[in-house]
Amino acid sequence: MSAIVAHELTQRYGSEVALDSVDLALDQGEHLAVLGDNGAGKTTLLRILATAARPTSGRLEIFGLDAVRERKALRARIGFVAHAPGLYPALSAVENLEFFCALHDVDRKRVPETLDLVGLTDVARRPAGRLSRGEQQRLAIGRAVLHGPRLLVLDEPDASLDSGGPDLLASVMRDRTVVLATHDHALANRLCQRTVVLRNGRSLGAGTRLRVVR
Amino acid sequence: MNRSIAVAYAVARKDLTSEWRTRELVPALGQFVVLALVIANFGFQIDSRNATVIAPGVLWLALVFAGLVAFGRAFAAEREQASLEAMLLTPASAAAIFAGKAIAAALLLIACEAVLLPALSLLFGTPFNAELVAAVLIATIGMAALGCLFAAIVARVRSREVLLPLLTLPLWIPFIVAGGQAVQVAMGASGNYNQAVALLIDFDILFLVLTSLAARFVLDD
Repeated sequence: MSAIVAHELTQRYGSEVALDSVDLALDQGEHLAVLGDNGAGKTTLLRILATAARPTSGRLEIFGLDAVRERKALRARIGFVAHAPGLYPALSAVENLEFFCALHDVDRKRVPETLDLVGLTDVARRPAGRLSRGEQQRLAIGRAVLHGPRLLVLDEPDASLDSGGPDLLASVMRDRTVVLATHDHALANRLCQRTVVLRNGRSLGAGTRLRVVR
Repeated sequence: MNRSIAVAYAVARKDLTSEWRTRELVPALGQFVVLALVIANFGFQIDSRNATVIAPGVLWLALVFAGLVAFGRAFAAEREQASLEAMLLTPASAAAIFAGKAIAAALLLIACEAVLLPALSLLFGTPFNAELVAAVLIATIGMAALGCLFAAIVARVRSREVLLPLLTLPLWIPFIVAGGQAVQVAMGASGNYNQAVALLIDFDILFLVLTSLAARFVLDD
């Protein structure tokens, strides 16, 4: 069964075309890397896939549901890591995750295991504002997987992560459908089976990691 | 329904915990309202004959400007931290999230009122009684709902500091008119207190319903 089917996704901001008729198909459990220079449209595409933005035109189905009309229902199945961690600096790592447990209506018992997964158990009681940038990114990744989403949308999640970052990403991506935007071709090659390259909002082509990366 | 209450409670608790730890807003608002009262006290040449006429106007002016800051911060802080989107990308209802933000902002303004009302009584020599407190608290509910709705609308634009008063103040006028009358009567002037408070409650109900309906469209895009 397809996890994502996108047909001619287009996003315009006034006269500027951020995403131009992009087609995409992804099976469940597949990992797709989205590559491209700054301003290529990666973030726009990922925000649409995460239901954070509505496309100007085109059709998008995620797990068989219309991603615009039924986005509320989809949000329980999607985890999104955006550019900015979007944490509450005065709340501790635990409190940040407990807050999102309440919003997702999931058991708080998931918090310790999530902190363990992202390697933040030792700093669990530290305010998010006093965590390092890399630790904040780990916490944002933990928040994205807290509710057990089937689709993970990751916008440059490797930014600020230390050398253990790729292993962390590999562990959270396991058994999930993933769309990952990155500038790191080696990381894309390691974590994803398929790749799509964007330039000026258009898809230059998609393929297996070997074809595109080489 | 229980789910919405749980979400609103979590959002309000989160905002109040953040404010308690950072103490960014309430101390500054408390100082602002006391300074406003001191300036008004000197500027208006207050004596026992005109205090009950001038004091309600000063109270509402201080309250309105403190409210604009309190409600403006409710969503501006979320935007600055880029945390609003993370919250809205959960299955939680936008109306419940909005209610939580409005409750927290209203409680912060009430904390500010806890400084304002005794200070007003001290500086202007006006009565400090249950009727006065009740009128201000009832007005705060509707003002918080409206203020937070417009704060959510303008949070995404650059000139939000200018737009928020422009949008909010005209719709706060009914609260200031009815609240002003109730406060005047509570301070000893002649008039119908119950009628003014009933009008405030009507406005509260009207704007609570309207803002909870509008919140979905404001926050969900």
